[in-house]
Amino acid sequence: MEVVGLFAMVLALFVLRQNLVVVLGMTAAYAYLVWGDGAVANIIIDAWDALNREVLLSIPLYILAGSIMSRGTMAQRLIRLMRALTAPIPGGLAIATVLSCAVFAAISGSSVVTLLAVGSVMYPALLQAGYSKQFALGSLCAAGTLGIIVPPSIPLILYGVMTQTSIADLFIAGIGPALLLILLMSVYAIIRNWRLRVGSWSLREIWLSLRHGIWALFMPVLILGGIYSGYFTATESAAVAVVYAIFVELVIHRELGLRGMYDTFAETTKLLGALFPVLMFALALNVFLTYEQVPEMIVRWLNTIITDRASFLIVMNLFLLIIGCVMDIGSAILILAPILQPIAQAQGIDPVHFGIIMIVNLEIGYLTPPLGLNLIVAMSAFREEFWTICRAVLPFLGLMVIGLIVVTFWPDLSLFLVQR
Amino acid sequence: MQRLLRRLQAAERGITFFAFCIMIAIVFADVAVREVTGSGLHWARQVGVYANIFVVMLGFGLASAEAAHLRPRFADSWIPARLERFMPHVQEGLMSLFCIAVAVVATLVVLETFELQERSVVLRLLVWPVQAVIPLAFVIAAFRHGCYAIWPALAPQPPSNVEAAAAAVAARKADKAHKADKADKAIR
Repeated sequence: MEVVGLFAMVLALFVLRQNLVVVLGMTAAYAYLVWGDGAVANIIIDAWDALNREVLLSIPLYILAGSIMSRGTMAQRLIRLMRALTAPIPGGLAIATVLSCAVFAAISGSSVVTLLAVGSVMYPALLQAGYSKQFALGSLCAAGTLGIIVPPSIPLILYGVMTQTSIADLFIAGIGPALLLILLMSVYAIIRNWRLRVGSWSLREIWLSLRHGIWALFMPVLILGGIYSGYFTATESAAVAVVYAIFVELVIHRELGLRGMYDTFAETTKLLGALFPVLMFALALNVFLTYEQVPEMIVRWLNTIITDRASFLIVMNLFLLIIGCVMDIGSAILILAPILQPIAQAQGIDPVHFGIIMIVNLEIGYLTPPLGLNLIVAMSAFREEFWTICRAVLPFLGLMVIGLIVVTFWPDLSLFLVQR
Repeated sequence: MQRLLRRLQAAERGITFFAFCIMIAIVFADVAVREVTGSGLHWARQVGVYANIFVVMLGFGLASAEAAHLRPRFADSWIPARLERFMPHVQEGLMSLFCIAVAVVATLVVLETFELQERSVVLRLLVWPVQAVIPLAFVIAAFRHGCYAIWPALAPQPPSNVEAAAAAVAARKADKAHKADKADKAIR
């Protein structure tokens, strides 16, 4: 009966259009009042403990580094380089789109920013080069989602924080699946656009574009190289990334003045102000659930229904795909990761691997109606009908589901670089 | 009132910018000093964490001021169209009440920390002045959302075309459902 009451309250809050911070805060209060000792002050104490953690420092620093680097003409610089490198390949411009999205995502850490920044340049270019509108829209929307899985990704950090999994390991584990998705999209681009005319390599253009884009390209190398070599922790690499981004934008590119920098800080703070209070209530709720052994109870119950690992993975993927359709990735991770991860671990799935599975599932949610964020952004940015974009992404959705299946049933793809 | 809210927002932006700069400078200095001397600044991370708490808690107000809070929207079209005009009041009013409740509970926690004279293990500084930013942030948010509940015209519009497009899709859906409902009634 109490559980029904909880669900009714949560549903009522969603219907009354309450922010996630209210929903999670009220859920925590309900849990403490009904199943706990009634001391709701413990929520604030747990929330304080949650905020007072060093690991959280990496989130504002990575978001800020991404925001600084994605202002100015960073996208154009990367696109120029990718176009120069892929010129003689059939479907080269489409491959350049995918690669530009992947590299830009690694810098900005945001799918929406990636889609808008690369899309604004590449959408007209693709149409002009004879690519179909459907293909252009689909490839941009799908490649735009790579920001979720290409490290450093904020969803991966959130998963790490919520499940106490190494963020550095998650970043490293994201590389294999990201490369697989890039490969799938690139191969599809070649097959689909085989007959389109191709250009030729120009060493001069490659050199010039490399010279313009080298500072941007070095950012992911700095972050991932630092973490993988063990030179930096995730937080340290985030601090280095911010200082590097400020240096590049203020001293090298000189596209972002002090006023622009101030606005970028404010923009980032706004994002953090939306994220962290939710995170602190989610972590407080997580403490309560762990204390009351709720994940263990769910594991015991699930073990009576699902006996083998394969069926568990199939059910979990279907569940997460549905969740991705109706919930944004941040909310889904904050609510579900601490509950699902112990269940996955009980089935013998590595927490890092499960994190990647979860992220790829929710990444697909960016392309599925009714709330696929990239569909909505593309509709607004490219002024196309919602259903036109939905149809355009269908082949790419298929590719991403293939990628998801490979990621799910081939753990080594994610874990081969993770040092154990 | 609008001017007051704008000034509040400008103050929050200034303070968070300052705190953000401290956080970056100190965490980076820790890495740099470690590279040079072989050992980092043992207090740096804790100062960085405290600066982060200031940034994110005062950022809560900035998120309110620019309608940037995370909100699942799947149930947006479930409210009957005739009740739609009350929704801004209800939505903002409930948010304000929630913030008041959190502010009250958080104040009690801070008072307890104050009475216990609790100190940070690393910095040996009193914890309550940092902790006090939590109730402060929720008090400011309660005031802001209370204003929006009374005067919905003051409430910020969704920040980006993303949100606007999401709202447009929801509105179009609701409109379609309304038309279909009307047609259905006419047939009957």
